[in-house]
Amino acid sequence: MSGEAQSLTRRAALTVMAAGGAAWAFWPRRSRFQQAPAGRKEVVYWEKWTDQEGAAAQRMVDWFNQSQDRIWVTKLTVADIGAKAMVAIGGGDPPDIVGLWSYSIPQYAEAGALLAVDTLAGAGHLNESYYTPAVWQLLTHEGKQWAGVSTCHSLALYYNRAMFREAGIDRPPRTIAELDACAERLTRRESDGRLRVCGFHQAIPDWWVYFWPFVFGGDLYEPGARGTPGRATVASAEGIKAFEWVSRTAERLGRVPGRAFASSFNRSIGSADDPFFNARVPMIMQGPWTANFARVYAPGLEYAAAAMPVDEAVYDEASPITLIEADVLMVPKGSPNAEAAAEFLLFTQRRDVHERLAMEQCKPSGLRSVSERFESEHPHPYIALHNDLMQSSRARIQPRTRAWKQYNDMMIAAFEAVWGGADVGAELRRVEARVQEVIDLSAERLRRRREARLGDPGEGPQRRGAATTQEVEAQRWSGAATQEGA
Amino acid sequence: MRRRWPTWLVGLAWVSPWLVGFVWFLAAPVAMSLFYSFTDYSLLEKSVPVGLANYREMLGDSLFWVSLRNTLVYTFASVAVGGAMSLGIAVLLERRLPGTGFVRAAVFLPTLVPIVAAAIGWRYMFTTDNGLINAGLKSVGVGPVDWLGDPRAALWAMVLMGLWFYGTSVVIYTAALRDVPRSLYEAAAIDGLGAWRRFVSVTLPSMSPAVLFNTVMSTIWSLQIFAAPLLMTRGGPDNATMVFSLYVYRNAFEYGRMGYASALAWVQILIAVALTLVALGLSRKLTYYRAA
Amino acid sequence: MSNGSGTRRWGGGAGRWMLTALMLVVGLMFLAPLFWMFATSLKPAAETLSRDVGVLPRFADESGVAPGKLSGAYAEKLGSQAAANYSAAFDNPVTDFRLYIRNTALVSVLSVAGMVLSSAIAAYGFSRIKWRGRDSLFLVVLATMMIPFTVIMAPQYLLYKHMGWIGTFAPLWVPAWFGGAFTVFLLRQFFLGIPRELDEAAQLDGCSHWGSFWRIILPLAKPALAVAALLQFIASWNDFLAPLVFINQQKQYTLMMGLALYERQHGGTPWNHVMAASFITMAPVLVLFLFTQRALIEGVATQGLKE
Repeated sequence: MSGEAQSLTRRAALTVMAAGGAAWAFWPRRSRFQQAPAGRKEVVYWEKWTDQEGAAAQRMVDWFNQSQDRIWVTKLTVADIGAKAMVAIGGGDPPDIVGLWSYSIPQYAEAGALLAVDTLAGAGHLNESYYTPAVWQLLTHEGKQWAGVSTCHSLALYYNRAMFREAGIDRPPRTIAELDACAERLTRRESDGRLRVCGFHQAIPDWWVYFWPFVFGGDLYEPGARGTPGRATVASAEGIKAFEWVSRTAERLGRVPGRAFASSFNRSIGSADDPFFNARVPMIMQGPWTANFARVYAPGLEYAAAAMPVDEAVYDEASPITLIEADVLMVPKGSPNAEAAAEFLLFTQRRDVHERLAMEQCKPSGLRSVSERFESEHPHPYIALHNDLMQSSRARIQPRTRAWKQYNDMMIAAFEAVWGGADVGAELRRVEARVQEVIDLSAERLRRRREARLGDPGEGPQRRGAATTQEVEAQRWSGAATQEGA
Repeated sequence: MRRRWPTWLVGLAWVSPWLVGFVWFLAAPVAMSLFYSFTDYSLLEKSVPVGLANYREMLGDSLFWVSLRNTLVYTFASVAVGGAMSLGIAVLLERRLPGTGFVRAAVFLPTLVPIVAAAIGWRYMFTTDNGLINAGLKSVGVGPVDWLGDPRAALWAMVLMGLWFYGTSVVIYTAALRDVPRSLYEAAAIDGLGAWRRFVSVTLPSMSPAVLFNTVMSTIWSLQIFAAPLLMTRGGPDNATMVFSLYVYRNAFEYGRMGYASALAWVQILIAVALTLVALGLSRKLTYYRAA
Repeated sequence: MSNGSGTRRWGGGAGRWMLTALMLVVGLMFLAPLFWMFATSLKPAAETLSRDVGVLPRFADESGVAPGKLSGAYAEKLGSQAAANYSAAFDNPVTDFRLYIRNTALVSVLSVAGMVLSSAIAAYGFSRIKWRGRDSLFLVVLATMMIPFTVIMAPQYLLYKHMGWIGTFAPLWVPAWFGGAFTVFLLRQFFLGIPRELDEAAQLDGCSHWGSFWRIILPLAKPALAVAALLQFIASWNDFLAPLVFINQQKQYTLMMGLALYERQHGGTPWNHVMAASFITMAPVLVLFLFTQRALIEGVATQGLKE
């Protein structure tokens, strides 16, 4: 026993020493994360992008770091950035500036967790006339601007021209009926019923499964009038029509093989095995970065882009339907170097900076005024389409409510249920009712929170005064925003 | 000589490292979560008391019920299949066959694999067209199954993966089997009992503490299932792998609904306690039965 | 230890060999996922997506001809592919595994030291001193093993927030310095087995509790302490949930966080690289297991023993 014990201790000690030796060997001589040069104030910047897009953002940061000699921005890539940012900002360990999605703004703004851009010195020119209408809506909440735009995009239909030619299709589909007809002509099956080529699939990629009500003229959310919470509207007639179309598509492709086909591409969107680049899916709704990825992974691909087809009843060539999303930069309250971070934020809003990042990530501009160079030198062959879509009067945005993340998760599940054959109306009504409950509850609690902030005797006179101003301002603005929305 | 302290004080002083940690890192957070379960709280802003609203909201939240059902189905399946499997393997290992040491190590090794690596590996194993599981099934003429994409299969994929981690149970059963007194077997042999009867009426009762321990521990462990669906399916498809802990995590850290998450967490504590008590109660009954 | 009796009982006939075969199949099934992951980490990317699932890499060329598994060409290809995969995983542009190894090693070493020391002290109080309420308090120790981390992660986060620990490594290792239910339990079982006479004699010689703990119990308990240290090291090396909830800055990521980030990066990571990264993160634990598997398994087995 004791011999055994001794040899065990000896072996454990040896292993620990070996591990220590290995750790020593691997010990970083210099951390990969660049240190700020002495004498410069370091701004920690969290961003979600990796790979090419991350490298483009890093070049923007480098540009800023070279443009002056007081501030040094360090960009960190953060996984699961939505949850991490909320936890870090709520936990009092915030980065100086963070790159999130525009849907986070309502929640952060209502919680008072952001510095309003309007209050920053030198931000006077950033206003409604500076950004495209949809982007301006995405950056604001209750009438205040809470973030800068880093990049933005519109969604379009990308199609494989070579496969269209082979199938004898001479132009991209404009309506859903045409889309279905094209898809049917392009779809090929293996002998065992599995899909080899799928003309079009609403869940490839599966990032915007909530999009389909838009193309039938529906919407997901109706902002509330003054003082009343907004309404979830996915179970409207248009929404039901849209998901019945999804269900019909599933039926036609085969519910099981259709799902298996989509889930086999889960991880490969935007890589060499992307189904669009592999000619497995000749029509795909995608963002403008597709051009960037195509250049790298499928240089020979013959493709083109067009506006997303819509239901015949709502077709209007002059006003295509699309979804606009924005990646935003915000300075959290409690940011240790807020002033320096704000300076970086303002730098990123300069037209030349914004356009350069947009060009490197192959995206359209979020600003009203676009330089001549931007369209002529842009690497995206169809950037004009994406720019037009940015300006379209029927450009949709994600619901501006703090319940959106939950809404989105529920839409994903509802989509999967509908694909599996669930009753469309019941499914959507369940989502709508639950989302509405969350919206109403959070509106009610926001109201109580604001009342408490106004009447809290524990807060000092100065802070109370500040809260009051903010509150009054917020109320004044929420009225204005509603009118604008209506 | 110094004054002698009363023994209970000495004892408490010795266990105080654990006691302080227990109060500070466990009891306090548990109490805090009870407090927050009666509020609306988003991490980003101050809490607002809402009374029982979070608990009332749960009753009408279909996702709450779905996640509860998934967790219980997973737990019962995993504990039943895993328990039977590990007992079976332990019996095999106790026959002192050649290669026992190797097999014991092989069965135990997966318990040391970090869940992140396991999730990655199993996700690949479960892929429809190029995964090992479907390749194995194909060789016996079954499938292909879209393990992580099909709502009917996804939870069972989690159960299957969970079985990989039952090495601890196997090892504990092996030790318990070793402790079954030889004299009992000899008595049974005299009575002329067959192998199966001998196992059921001699072996199993005399290792009932180990069975109880393993059942309770694997129940608790299974109720906590979280990282695997978080990393592999994010709760999908169609919420088929939306388990309770994942729903708690989402509400707390993704939806900014810490208050609601705390209420959910309290339901989870109560379920864990209730199931444990049921297990203990059952064991007492069985023990009395044996004594009678 | 029991080899003699083992050999004696091997006698049986065909049934015995069938049982052996069954047992070996079970063992191989448990090893298969790890082995397949390892084999995948040696394959070229195209093979990881191929429909004919093979265990070993094939290295077929354009025309589909693969070199023989025992040929020199195969070994050469295997070597260069392995080197390519592992260095691609280790030196990828997204994650800094060198830094994460350092972070993880720091956290693991600190928590092992604290866990073993504090749990040993508490276990002494639960085993070598008789006092009123001891056994009921010990039931509480056992009960705490039942509280799932997912239940307390949110409130613990709030607690650490109040304490200003968010943004530091403290949540990952400081709690270990207050002992852990499982380690206390493990050590207590061992301490109970040490004859009472030893420390009674020492106490008659004027030795305090501290003296008998330090000079008698701890030296005798070395094997149990080693097992406890091993288990704690593995647990904190592998821990994913605590860093997931408590660590925000990428500079403070542990290996498991880094691995999750690497796998989930935009566009997906090729399977062969992900598997290589997984094996890099698992290497220390696998090596530890190779050297100490017997003691580890014995240590874990004592959990289920009744008093």
